[in-house]
Amino acid sequence: MATQLDRVSPGVGPTPGETPAPTPPAPVKRRFATGAATVIIRRVLGAIVSLFAVLVFNFFLFRVLPGDPARKLARNRHMSAEQVMELRRSMGLDRPLGEQFFTYLNRLVLHGDLGPAFSKGKMPVAEYIGDRIWPTVLLVGSSTILSIVFGLWIGIKGAWQRGSTFDRLSNAMSLTLYAMPIFWLGIVFLMVMAGNQMGLGLFPTGGMHDVTPPEGWFANALDVLHHLFLPCLTLTLAYLAEFSLVMRSSLLDEMGQDYLTTARAKGLRDLRVRRRHAVPNALLPTTTLIFLHLGFIISGALTVEIVYSWPGLGLASLEALEFPDFNLLQGIFLLFAVSTIVFNLMGDLLLGVLDPRVREA
Amino acid sequence: MTSLITSGSARTGRRLAAAIVALGLAVLLPATAAVAQDGSPSPAAKKVFTIGIQQDPDSLNPFNGFLSSAYEIQGIMYDLLTGWSDEDFSPVPQLADSWEKSTDGLTWTFKIHPGVKWSDGQPLTAKDVAYTFNRTINGENERPKYDAYVKNIKDVVALDDLTAEFHLKAADPIMDHLWVPIIPEHIWKDIDSKEVTSFSNEDNPVGSGPFVLAERKPGEFIRLTANKSYFRGGPKIDELVFKIFEDEDAMVQALRKGEIDAVDSLGGTTFQSLQGAAGVTTVQSKGLGFNEIGINVGAQTVDNKPIGDGHPALKDLVVRQAIAYAIDRNALVDRVLRGLGEPGSSIMPPAYADLYYTPGDKEYKFDLAKANSLLDGAGYTRGSDGIRVDPNSGKKLSFRLFGREDSEESKGSVQFVQGWLKEIGIDAKVTIMAEDKLTEVIGAGEFDLFEWGWGVEPDPDFQVSTFTCDQRSYEDSGEVYAGWSDSFYCNQAYDGLYKQQSVQLDRPQRAATIMQMEDMLYTDLPYVVTYYQDNLQAYRSDRWTGLKPDASGAIYFGYGTDRYRSIDHPSEPSDSGGISTGVLIGVGAVVAIGLVAGGIALARSRATEGDRE
Repeated sequence: MATQLDRVSPGVGPTPGETPAPTPPAPVKRRFATGAATVIIRRVLGAIVSLFAVLVFNFFLFRVLPGDPARKLARNRHMSAEQVMELRRSMGLDRPLGEQFFTYLNRLVLHGDLGPAFSKGKMPVAEYIGDRIWPTVLLVGSSTILSIVFGLWIGIKGAWQRGSTFDRLSNAMSLTLYAMPIFWLGIVFLMVMAGNQMGLGLFPTGGMHDVTPPEGWFANALDVLHHLFLPCLTLTLAYLAEFSLVMRSSLLDEMGQDYLTTARAKGLRDLRVRRRHAVPNALLPTTTLIFLHLGFIISGALTVEIVYSWPGLGLASLEALEFPDFNLLQGIFLLFAVSTIVFNLMGDLLLGVLDPRVREA
Repeated sequence: MTSLITSGSARTGRRLAAAIVALGLAVLLPATAAVAQDGSPSPAAKKVFTIGIQQDPDSLNPFNGFLSSAYEIQGIMYDLLTGWSDEDFSPVPQLADSWEKSTDGLTWTFKIHPGVKWSDGQPLTAKDVAYTFNRTINGENERPKYDAYVKNIKDVVALDDLTAEFHLKAADPIMDHLWVPIIPEHIWKDIDSKEVTSFSNEDNPVGSGPFVLAERKPGEFIRLTANKSYFRGGPKIDELVFKIFEDEDAMVQALRKGEIDAVDSLGGTTFQSLQGAAGVTTVQSKGLGFNEIGINVGAQTVDNKPIGDGHPALKDLVVRQAIAYAIDRNALVDRVLRGLGEPGSSIMPPAYADLYYTPGDKEYKFDLAKANSLLDGAGYTRGSDGIRVDPNSGKKLSFRLFGREDSEESKGSVQFVQGWLKEIGIDAKVTIMAEDKLTEVIGAGEFDLFEWGWGVEPDPDFQVSTFTCDQRSYEDSGEVYAGWSDSFYCNQAYDGLYKQQSVQLDRPQRAATIMQMEDMLYTDLPYVVTYYQDNLQAYRSDRWTGLKPDASGAIYFGYGTDRYRSIDHPSEPSDSGGISTGVLIGVGAVVAIGLVAGGIALARSRATEGDRE
């Protein structure tokens, strides 16, 4: 994994400001403490630099796209060229690009303001994102947790009982799911479980709420769960395969290691060897994978959101791109980038805690 | 010690599994029953009509909101002075019972319907009308959206509670079709002009229309409740919901299932799949627009400065005529539209009967031999590769032909046109691009031929204006901006007629002028109009009746928002839709079974682990 390769070179001196443990510990321990501080600071600085790069890149990326939001609004709408120009002016799009960029940075850095969303009646971008972020967090969050739990369980069990019926079945299923386009899987579930022509008609075909939401907090939560079921199932199955396959192969790698033979030779029980020795080591690549995934929680699952009309950020970014609503796109992608960077950073740091080789390198 | 721990953890495992099972049973089953109990009585009493749409409105603020879904919903929340007739789009009373103009057309007097109330109970008077228009005319942020309607209005005065007098700078035929929603002064006086640009208008907005906004969930739905005391008769339904679907297949599934009651803007394939579906009636109405192959007849800015790199041969009318003869419009309708449309001739669709132009003898009937002989006669001889050469510029007749990525019909059309052009010795190089990109290259004049279309309003002014010289691209501080013209047609005689129709208050006279303009365009061929695509809708006729088509045949998203008021269940109401109790219990059962199975599997696996030791 890239994050593991990104190691800090040895010989970096202690960093001022970072206090080591108060009581002077053994020399080996101190070396660890200062090393860890350096690693943390380096990673955080790296994250800040990437964030700024994303900020600049986002701005210019979307401006390079062809498209004139003012014209888009006015097409077929009986508006004269002067009125379109007026509209363009009101969006600030008549200014030179450099000036627009400066305004954007200025607004963002000094006031924390992402600007108005032109495709949403000039509603503040932050407010609009606030409306759309929770559905995505709910959907991708729940399916990520479910897929981690089930994926790891399948992977561990499969690897440990390599060649068993369970292993062969689960492996075949994981590979099939891994190769399956999410969009197609979603449509199939929709037809079979939500539609009532060929299907069971058990679930709603889209959205997150019934159009006449039931009274009461609890009934409302159930209504959301009812809508959540199919998209969550689709996404869980899609993610599941990745976790189980990675977990299985890294556990298989560990199972050939000498230390497991040693552990068994010491007389440890099978379960203990697996839990205490093999799995923790095999979890390292999976941890990286999990944090990469957590980073995507915000950017969500565009395809699933489209199939089930799930009102999350993925769908919002698609709407913004069709427009194209520059401010909204910038805001959404900034958020995507921040979440990816933050979770990557957390993954890196946690890997240092879990794996002594990473922090000592 | 070790064995104690392992057997302990196996016990924990079983306990965990048991807990999951218990949770599944305890929470889900009674809960679904609970939902079914408090869910079932109310929907049976309430009549809710739900329409699936594929576009979330950009804003419900009347000074904002440009998408067609925004126009539709604002049109339900507010009233206009006049509406459109269901027979021929002519003006009919809405808020105004009657109106008259002075002989010079510079003073218009509208009589407001007495006793109209805003949704908060306040009376709606001519003062609100005057306020709406004066604010629109003078407001920097209010004017852009409605400029086309108010550009000739000087001011509006409320003579009394029921009389509004409009003073004009110049006569304007748009006056009996003023598409400006009337807003309540007592609410909007507190929203200043700066605030108006971003005002969402979603928090209990006060309107006069047949429905009042109840709730909006962005990206999900917009729910409106009926204004039962609407002055022209309250709606028969209790709620009207617009539910947003991103995916057309999902939307159609929802209709088949009865989760929604109606769908709008279907594609041809889906529409045909719904024909004959149980309980569903499909509605095919005349499209209010046209599609065309646009031709670069010589791109110039408004200052007559040539721009772009259009092929010079396209300035020659003979070449354009040959292209027109080489396009089989009937085949396009059959093959590209699957028969769901009409072959095109003019820029006014047949739905606008008094403006619709038919070419008669002049028609460019599909005739490849005629196209070839025209080109032969004008000296465009074929080279060794079969491609003709322009005798004036020496260039091959090789044209770029742009189609639109977002439209299957567009991609199909350009393929067919490419094939036909090859038959007459013209090489067309097809490129498919996004509409945004196409707008850009057209504005810069960097094109030869393209496929696109327009939606046309009942008032023809805007559509005919797109061919005037003023609508060509313009230069502003070194930068070229596109106008509305995408053929760069410029003809002084045409512009003269445009000015003439813009002050003609007599509809038949104006229609005659428009016909002359259409004839000119048909002769000069900046466009080859390919077809009029039908508008495709469907609804659950087993549960609903009283859907009233507008003059084009559309049952919603048409002109005039009178439609939603007459919708009702048939006199013998069948089982109302929605999620039934059985379904909810089914869901609970599925989830619970899943959890039980998972729990048992977990317990068993733990058990075997324990046993193995």
